Amino acid sequence: MQNTTLNLAHDSTVSKTAGERPDQPAVIAVRKRCDADGVGLSHYILMDRKPA
Amino acid sequence: MSAPAPEIRPVPSSGRYANSGSGPALVPLEIGHADYVALTDPDTAFWALVRKDHLAETLAGGPLLESYREKAAEFALELHGLRFELRPSAVYVNPTERCNLNCTYCYIPEGMRRHGEDMSADRLIEALGRLKGYFESVMPEGRKPRAIFHGAEPLMNRKALFAAIDAFHEDYVFGVQTNATLLDEAAIRFLTDRHVSIGLSLDGPLPEVTDATRATWAGKSVHAKVLEAMDRLRGYDSWSVIATCTEKNLDQLVPLVELFHERGVPTCMLNAVRCTLEGARTVRPEDDALARGFVTALDRTHELYRETGRKLVVANFANILLAILAPTARRLMCDISPCGGGRAFFAMAPDGGLFPCSEFIGLDAFRGGSLFEDRIEDVLKTPAFATVTERNVDRFAPCNTCAIRHFCGSPCPAEAHEMNGGMDRVGAFCGFYEEQVRYAMRLIADGKAEDFLWDGWSEGVETTYDLVQ
Repeated sequence: MQNTTLNLAHDSTVSKTAGERPDQPAVIAVRKRCDADGVGLSHYILMDRKPA
Repeated sequence: MSAPAPEIRPVPSSGRYANSGSGPALVPLEIGHADYVALTDPDTAFWALVRKDHLAETLAGGPLLESYREKAAEFALELHGLRFELRPSAVYVNPTERCNLNCTYCYIPEGMRRHGEDMSADRLIEALGRLKGYFESVMPEGRKPRAIFHGAEPLMNRKALFAAIDAFHEDYVFGVQTNATLLDEAAIRFLTDRHVSIGLSLDGPLPEVTDATRATWAGKSVHAKVLEAMDRLRGYDSWSVIATCTEKNLDQLVPLVELFHERGVPTCMLNAVRCTLEGARTVRPEDDALARGFVTALDRTHELYRETGRKLVVANFANILLAILAPTARRLMCDISPCGGGRAFFAMAPDGGLFPCSEFIGLDAFRGGSLFEDRIEDVLKTPAFATVTERNVDRFAPCNTCAIRHFCGSPCPAEAHEMNGGMDRVGAFCGFYEEQVRYAMRLIADGKAEDFLWDGWSEGVETTYDLVQ
């Protein structure tokens, strides 16, 4: 497997149409993991993650 | 409540081929992208985006199949842990049954909100003490439980609420969800001084839009009062605003996110109305219309980020992205099956009644016991709780064959039960969730996903699979 570090913002400026970007990766797959501690529900989200 | 952990058995086939024998199960999923299609293993929530002109050769073999074959069992165990092995670390506390508003879609029955009881300060403090003892017995040392005051309107019982926060500010991470009408200068000073996370509610950019679903019992507008509270909170780092999406405001979501962004709201939620009670169903939007309005608003938040460098995170959508990118990093526990109700958190009514989630507080059949009379450990095992914690999308149609069932979780069990006839039914907005996942996949394909997530979301998060070729 040819691993590269996936930049989730690998190119966020180009509008995509078929055939426009021959340099697009053939496959993009990524998975991350951490200790689960989510407790939010649709009526509330605890703001313990900061926005920009 | 736990399903058995996936058993790893000696393979009966070589596992050489996708979708046969013990080979990786990868289901194609159309995502509406010009160049990419998704593959998912529904059982493990693994996914890959594959260029359409490479789909056949990718499924025929090569790096994706080879590497995923090695990781599938690990991912299955990880998802199993998230779905079945969590223990409660938060409680939603309703310190009063009363509310000064009469919102169309409220999940608390009208009689309670109009004529209900408050908890006394002593009773609320006793409750938090009992809850603290429980959390100490199940949570790792050094981690504080979360206690979120919810409603009805918690500030209708302000004296008890503030006494409880002062009594336990060292022991809990506190949050308050409020309609903001009673959030005056003194209340904001009290809450922000103690770093309480504050959630407000606003449904429209204009009074007439908000008023369509949120107003006082006498029908008076509260729009201006919410804006005042938002102005007071500007600059505070721990607040958010919930907008409930109904048929009344779908065409206003773009100006609404513009208003949120302009007023410095750090995080919002654009929640589909929960259709548990009849009143909410009167303003239920159609899935496709909701998806269109929602995605258009998300696109606008992205433009605003590009124009200003400042994000307005739409938390419920960010959670769908996280469910795809890092399943265990979810912040919201509605969009997973079983949901977080009764296992990651539970809810307490003002009389001490314990329910799997706030959404069930109006439904007596889901009362598992009393904090003041029963052991929480026993309450969590009652049929009232197990009915929710055992709702499993692997076991009922159409979810059991859905390629995205572990990105969505078919929320919400209260809706499924009350609106659709049982726990083995889908929630209210199946089609809307499909569109959210497809949009999220397109963002990942286009390298835009980070723009929709909190900065720093990946701190403490490790990469377990990474293939870009």
